[in-house]
Amino acid sequence: MKPLRIALTKGRLENKAVDLFSRIGYDCSAVREKGRKLILPMGDSIELVLAKAADVITYVEYGVCDLGVVGKDTILEKGGSYYEVLDLGFGKCRFALAGPKEAADFFSGYSVKTVATKYPRFAANYFENKAMDVRIIKIEGSVELAPLLGLSDAIVDLVETGTTLKENGLRVIEPICEVSARLIVNAASMKLRKAEIETLTGRMERCVRKSSSNGKEKSAC
Amino acid sequence: MRKNNRITPEGTKDYLFEECLTRRYIERTIGDVFSSRGFHEVVTPGLEFYDVFDPDFSGIPQEVMYKTTDRRGRLIVMRPDSTLPIARLTATRLQNLPKPLRLYYTQPIYRNNPGLTGKSDESVQTGIELLGAGGIRADLDVISTALEALGKCVPGYRLELGHAGIFHVLAEQFPSGENLREEIRSAIETKSYARLDGILDRLPQSEPVRAMRELPRLFGGEEVFERASLLRGDTRLAGILDDLHGIYRSLSQLEQSGRLMIDLGLVQRNDYYTGIVFSAYVEEFGDAVLLGGRYDNLLGHFGQPMPAVGFAVNVDAIAKTLLARGNVCPVLPMDILVHGETGYEVKALEYAADLVAQGLRCETSVLETQDGAVAYAQSSGIKRIDFVGETVKTVNLI
Repeated sequence: MKPLRIALTKGRLENKAVDLFSRIGYDCSAVREKGRKLILPMGDSIELVLAKAADVITYVEYGVCDLGVVGKDTILEKGGSYYEVLDLGFGKCRFALAGPKEAADFFSGYSVKTVATKYPRFAANYFENKAMDVRIIKIEGSVELAPLLGLSDAIVDLVETGTTLKENGLRVIEPICEVSARLIVNAASMKLRKAEIETLTGRMERCVRKSSSNGKEKSAC
Repeated sequence: MRKNNRITPEGTKDYLFEECLTRRYIERTIGDVFSSRGFHEVVTPGLEFYDVFDPDFSGIPQEVMYKTTDRRGRLIVMRPDSTLPIARLTATRLQNLPKPLRLYYTQPIYRNNPGLTGKSDESVQTGIELLGAGGIRADLDVISTALEALGKCVPGYRLELGHAGIFHVLAEQFPSGENLREEIRSAIETKSYARLDGILDRLPQSEPVRAMRELPRLFGGEEVFERASLLRGDTRLAGILDDLHGIYRSLSQLEQSGRLMIDLGLVQRNDYYTGIVFSAYVEEFGDAVLLGGRYDNLLGHFGQPMPAVGFAVNVDAIAKTLLARGNVCPVLPMDILVHGETGYEVKALEYAADLVAQGLRCETSVLETQDGAVAYAQSSGIKRIDFVGETVKTVNLI
């Protein structure tokens, strides 16, 4: 039987996810000492693939990885068809519309506003649902710069603590939605390898529930 | 301006040699199964009016359709699906034929996929539609055809059964609007357990709410029918489950090797399905290779209400699977190259025709010299050359 392949978002979510796997009893030594390797064994039955967030979705959608750990922000931006079976509870932050503190009410007036964002599809959806015409400009790096430089009236971005906003004279105009890390599963894998996948997701779910109820993340599950 | 005359549009490709042979093999094998079961082939136009695929009842989003206009400015699309044109055809030109009608097709469909995803915008589908027949016998007939068709070309497939009615019946009992209903459907479709719980927690708890919560978890083998006891409180749902279980048992008699699965949470967006729905998977392909179901309300949109059931097989996906498995239809070199000497060209053509009549695969040489013919035979793997002059001289190449 070939191992289950899990695509894991590199960076922010990586350590928390590896902690979760080790708490449910997988041998994560190869992952912790990974060097430059991108495909890593985790015991005999699982293989971890390290990838950028949007690529996690691509690999899972095409079934070259059976499962993936990826932020809800990427899911909302990229879409696609796969199962989203578990909220892993970590990597929590939220999408918000933010703008300069002293600016007039964003929703007032009739002039078309300009919004800068790293998440153009998500932002476009948000304003479509409000039946608002806005100009959306895609920015790759620190989106907070756009209103400060006068490129846009506001931004749509992820906010964790709000410190970056505050230090740059911005404030949240409207929170949009909460995001956190999710476990996604390829549709064909879910059907063809149901027992293995359900065992794994069952253990992950119990562990996530336990750590959210007792507030500790380090205890074994 | 830069010319695009050396490339093909994104989402399309040329199919060559063993890819073509493998596709044709699949089309022929499955087509033979269809016609042996009394289905008759039809071809519908590649261009149709947009109204045939009206998203309101087709479930096909308008941005997915390739569009143009006809000479009078009316909106035309490149066929994004074959079931709707067949429904149109049945409701119009075939309306007076005795029912049930058994039709099959093998033709490409076109979908404008998002860019840079590697998805095919043009893909060949082959499928059947059984029109004017309701009930379990028709369902069984169509699904057993699917099993036979897949069994003949992709061993190792799994087929999954569900029922569109389950969600519809449960959703009717909800005090909820269209938006909430769509939110619930999408959470079930993507098996987003957490999101579904979040939505349902906001509603007053009742039997249908509890049943809805279980829906995406109810997939697996025959034991699903026991786990689904929560759904049996409603008589319509109990009836649906009994029918589905009956079909499952009947199909198990045809297909012993555990290829059948149940998923009561199959709630496709393609919302024209009203009854049983089914899809098939193979390990090499990350998406369904066959999709089908019962669509009893669709013909009504074309003015001739009647029950119908059918499915479509993604021929390209199966060809890809077979090629990946190494089950390639090999491109064989010809048996004989026939080279006519100068002045004997016509005799060579006649001679080659005789060989072909004997069942050999023959190619006539179009090269000017014997040396040229030998070099050509060697480079294309042809093992024998017959030189036709006053007499015929056979040369076997090593």
